[in-house]
Amino acid sequence: MKKFIDNIRSKPAGGILLLFCTIQIIAIIAGLLYPENFRYLNPANIAVLLKSMSALGIMAIGVGILMISGEFDLSVGTLYTFCAIVTATMVKEYALSPYLAMIIGIIVGIIAGLIHGNIVNRFTIPSFIVTLGAMLLWKGGTLLYHGAKSLRYKYESETYKTVLTGDIGVIDASFLWFIAVGIIFYFIVHHHKIGNHFFAVGGNPEAAIAIGINPKRVKLIAFSIAGGCAALSGVVAMSRVGSVQPGGGLGLELEAIAACVIGGCALMGGRGSILGIMLGTALIYTIQDLLLLLRAPGFYFEMFVGGLIVLAVIINVTIRKRI
Amino acid sequence: MNQLNYYECKNVSKRYGNLTALDNVDFHIGKNEVVGLLGDNGAGKSTLIKMMSGVVAPDTGNVFVDGKETKISTRKQSEEIAGIETIYQNSALCDDMTIIRNIFMGREITNFFGFMDHKKMEDLSLEVLESGVHISGIDSPLKEIGALSGGQKQAVAIARAVYFKRKILLLDEPTSALSVRETERVLKYVTELKSENVSSVIVTHNLYHAFQVCDRFVVMSHGKVIFEKNKSETNLEEVTEQVIKV
Repeated sequence: MKKFIDNIRSKPAGGILLLFCTIQIIAIIAGLLYPENFRYLNPANIAVLLKSMSALGIMAIGVGILMISGEFDLSVGTLYTFCAIVTATMVKEYALSPYLAMIIGIIVGIIAGLIHGNIVNRFTIPSFIVTLGAMLLWKGGTLLYHGAKSLRYKYESETYKTVLTGDIGVIDASFLWFIAVGIIFYFIVHHHKIGNHFFAVGGNPEAAIAIGINPKRVKLIAFSIAGGCAALSGVVAMSRVGSVQPGGGLGLELEAIAACVIGGCALMGGRGSILGIMLGTALIYTIQDLLLLLRAPGFYFEMFVGGLIVLAVIINVTIRKRI
Repeated sequence: MNQLNYYECKNVSKRYGNLTALDNVDFHIGKNEVVGLLGDNGAGKSTLIKMMSGVVAPDTGNVFVDGKETKISTRKQSEEIAGIETIYQNSALCDDMTIIRNIFMGREITNFFGFMDHKKMEDLSLEVLESGVHISGIDSPLKEIGALSGGQKQAVAIARAVYFKRKILLLDEPTSALSVRETERVLKYVTELKSENVSSVIVTHNLYHAFQVCDRFVVMSHGKVIFEKNKSETNLEEVTEQVIKV
């Protein structure tokens, strides 16, 4: 038993994994007991649940990596919309292939991240401030570039349709994108040396410098990942829905940070895991889904997620303290 | 120049605006030697340590390693050219990372694509923890640094330096956050390292500790070296007087 607790304690995602499994077990049992009134296990419900979490999930992975490195990005929400609109315009106005347009959109996101990172590094000001400014900049930029009309995103290619919006049973293509991004960054963050540097720079920047790691370079990489992930999530979400709202996206950055915090990322950096971030996202959407199934009014969702953030951090801290 | 000196800096000066942090300082580190770098707050000890470790670049002056003049202006150069490792009061470790990841921080063992070889790093960490500088009370290299005591942390930092075959350890107030017993242990490591051909420079306010382990004392004041004697030529009273005199 002690070994089991120790094992959970030593994993950054341990606490959240416990909470996630508990809620799943309760929901599944309830779903089996009352299949008519509580349709948690209904395929349609599972499909919607998996479909809805991918956009936030992809964004949260980038935000989480940046948080592990000790910085924030508040601009990912509006950047998400900006990059989606750039991608859609490339296809509509310039008749580019949707794949190429997608790559351009992601590159725009990466460049935006590099700009944020460069400003933070060069002037040594808090990323909170820089990206707060960037949040408004990208929001305004979207309106400047496109106007306030919503933009329909049509694509002729059948393959593109399948790759981004197809499904296998209840599993939506966008969910597979989320899982793929998660796996790629799992290997980068937890098994590549740059991942070790993310943790070092976020955990103790002086130590990183003393040992010869260049924190500015590491942070720049993390910023570009955050920007790239925001762009990818924008494109994935737009392709799934088939349109993009220039005013949308705002507020997603806080949900992404919430997902990371619920998933065990330390606010000041140095701690976190990809699995935790993914579970944090899944948990937010599971709660939303459960409330919908229970026919609770919409504002309950925000109240519950608010409570969940605090509860998850309490669990994480308590589990870590107890040996 | 003395053949025995492994590291030497001559006429080194460093100014921060109006403040002269180092004023024509001559300093050397011999082979198998523990140097006590003493002085009151603001004397320039930390600047000198930072200069030697490459974090701060001097305005003027020359640096010699093994008798050859060299330029050290980054942390990497001090590590590669002179084999210098610095250990701070709050050791250069990350609390949220395991001992393995701390030992190999910035020097991860990786394959061609940069992915870490966890097995090899774990085996080597075990070796580091078991041999050389013996660290008591650490049973697994998978433990997080945050779970260790202050003394154990310093021991990990020192073990890391030894493993990477450092020639010089710069210890900037290594014991000020430690208990009495932990302090004794860290000081013992420093003495043991001498026999493994690692020289050390210790910055400390505690002259008793300095007298316990150092072979030579250098006292700084207002950016200048004002006193330098071997242990055999001086005593605690004389050194104390030099440190407190204005």
